[in-house]
Amino acid sequence: MKTIIRSLLACACLSTALAAYGEDPAPEALALAKRVAITTCGTCHGVQGVSAQPKFPNLAGQSENYLAAQLKAFRSQTRGDADALAYMWGMAAPLDDDTIQALSALYASKPGAAGSRVTDPALVARGQSLYLEGKLDQGVPACAACHGPDGHGIADFPRLAGQHAQYLLKQLDSFQTNMRNVAVMHGVASGLKGSDAEAVAAYLESLP
Amino acid sequence: MKITLMRTKWLTGALATLALALLSTSAQAVPSFARQTGMACEACHTVWPELTHFGRVFKANGYILDNLKQVRGVSQRKDELLSLATLPPLSMMVQISDTQLAKPLPDTQNGSVAFPQQISLFYAGKIAPHGGAFIQLTYAHDSGGIQIDNADIRFADILTTETGHSLVYGVSLNNNPTVQDLFNSTPAFGFPYAGSSAAPGIPFGAQIDGALGQNVAGLTGYVYLNESLYAEAGFYRSAQQRSLPLDSSAAGVLSGLAPYWRLAYEHSWDRHNLSAGVYGATFKLFPGNGSALTGPTDTYKDVAEDLQYQFTADNHLFSLQATRISENASLDATYQDGVGSSNLKNKLTTTRAFATYYYKRRFGGTAGVFQTTGTGDAILHTPAGLEPDPTASPDTTGWIAELNYLPWMNTKFSLQYTAFSKYNGRTNDIQYDGTGRSASDNNSLYLVAWFAF
Repeated sequence: MKTIIRSLLACACLSTALAAYGEDPAPEALALAKRVAITTCGTCHGVQGVSAQPKFPNLAGQSENYLAAQLKAFRSQTRGDADALAYMWGMAAPLDDDTIQALSALYASKPGAAGSRVTDPALVARGQSLYLEGKLDQGVPACAACHGPDGHGIADFPRLAGQHAQYLLKQLDSFQTNMRNVAVMHGVASGLKGSDAEAVAAYLESLP
Repeated sequence: MKITLMRTKWLTGALATLALALLSTSAQAVPSFARQTGMACEACHTVWPELTHFGRVFKANGYILDNLKQVRGVSQRKDELLSLATLPPLSMMVQISDTQLAKPLPDTQNGSVAFPQQISLFYAGKIAPHGGAFIQLTYAHDSGGIQIDNADIRFADILTTETGHSLVYGVSLNNNPTVQDLFNSTPAFGFPYAGSSAAPGIPFGAQIDGALGQNVAGLTGYVYLNESLYAEAGFYRSAQQRSLPLDSSAAGVLSGLAPYWRLAYEHSWDRHNLSAGVYGATFKLFPGNGSALTGPTDTYKDVAEDLQYQFTADNHLFSLQATRISENASLDATYQDGVGSSNLKNKLTTTRAFATYYYKRRFGGTAGVFQTTGTGDAILHTPAGLEPDPTASPDTTGWIAELNYLPWMNTKFSLQYTAFSKYNGRTNDIQYDGTGRSASDNNSLYLVAWFAF
């Protein structure tokens, strides 16, 4: 129970910190961001922020502040999971604050990915149960507490609905190994393993 | 260097095969791009030099995505006039190899160590606000000298719409037909990516299949629509090394401009990418070699199809590349009523298909087949110095299997086995001199350590 309370408190702190972002981007910055989004980001994340390849996350509909925080973490090289190093450290390095803010606002304004077709209803149902209720005996709180019952995110906590299962599983693994160093998610990911993680990822991927 | 596909008359048995390898092209990936973009090799390559979709987009856009501090210049109207990295994106490549033939070539020692087989210096990266260059300077042990290798200087820009459509358009100035192409199913950057310079290469191939590399200059324009449809057209002109202006001592000199064209379509879904395309060129060549560079020419019409499939996941990577090149030759200059060649018209078809698998981009291998078939021409296909043999033909068939280990992303150790079931039209007596050398005697085991840094 203590773990859950600590997790939720940490969520609240993170939320407050991220809320510092979020001013409307200047028109010039937004124009540049639209171009960068298509010519650079779009190559992996899709021109509308919905990626064709499950290795790369969908960005459309994502929380603006979450996106900005991630881009800044890539730029400052403080987000250290393998793909962040290989791709995003280089991509984010030349972005200034205005462009980051504009890119984040741009993707946040786009409609999120439609959920994928359910191929294993039993797996998805189990994932739904884990997502909404957690697995308290293993210290896994309900994901919905921070990410919202519909998976669209709450405040600055990221949208997970419609996200590629492959990407989500890789992030859970990165949280668990602290390659991606986020204390809240380290605790969650440590208790959410194997088929449980697969079930939650499958459920989230199916959510519109 | 890669297995060579060259059209030439036989000089002498061993000499010719070595000469073929010497004139071959090579295919590399370069850490210069990693230095410039700040991204690891895997962004642009499955395992180098094979390009991912992102790598193709990076190339089409003119190698300009950058992450280095730039020296910039702008006009009063804020037009960008200069964008140059404060540190040049340079890199080196070293290949060290050992080759073991099933049976040594006459009067040669078996077990050929090349240290280095090749050392290359690259400038690969942005050179202007919308321009980039891939320029390779190579020292190769078999030539014993430093010479220009593959070069591709390009300028590109992009048009986009609010709805997310994009059109990349650009021009490439390059020295090897298909070196500017985006796909690894065309000759210049096709498998095998490294090949022995001490083992016999494939004796006959189409002009577009590497025969003119580094001895031509091409200017082509291209468009890449929505990162899917790729179309390109342009011209090539002879630009042979070490001889300007070209005279009758040169061999295989282009008359006028040779048109080149390319059309391909790629589709990405989930972890898959599939592309299919066609490409071709028409070359009108003066034979030269003592004949004046005027009058009739030999015309080679090359038309080819290619296919590529890539599956890219974190742990498992699979790809397939295949191409078929058909060449119709009309030897109006060489033929001379049966003196220069036995036939006025010859056909040649080359087919190759290779499949590659990698586990975690670290352990992997490639296997595949190659086949060249064509019209038998007693004069052109009989080794030089021998009486033209009416059974002579260019037919050559075989397979290649290769194992790779990459301890680090920029270091590759390869063990490659090449086997011939037919060579120069024959299974046995492939030298046409009764010495009894068989096609399988040319089988080779090639070990190469390949460092790129």
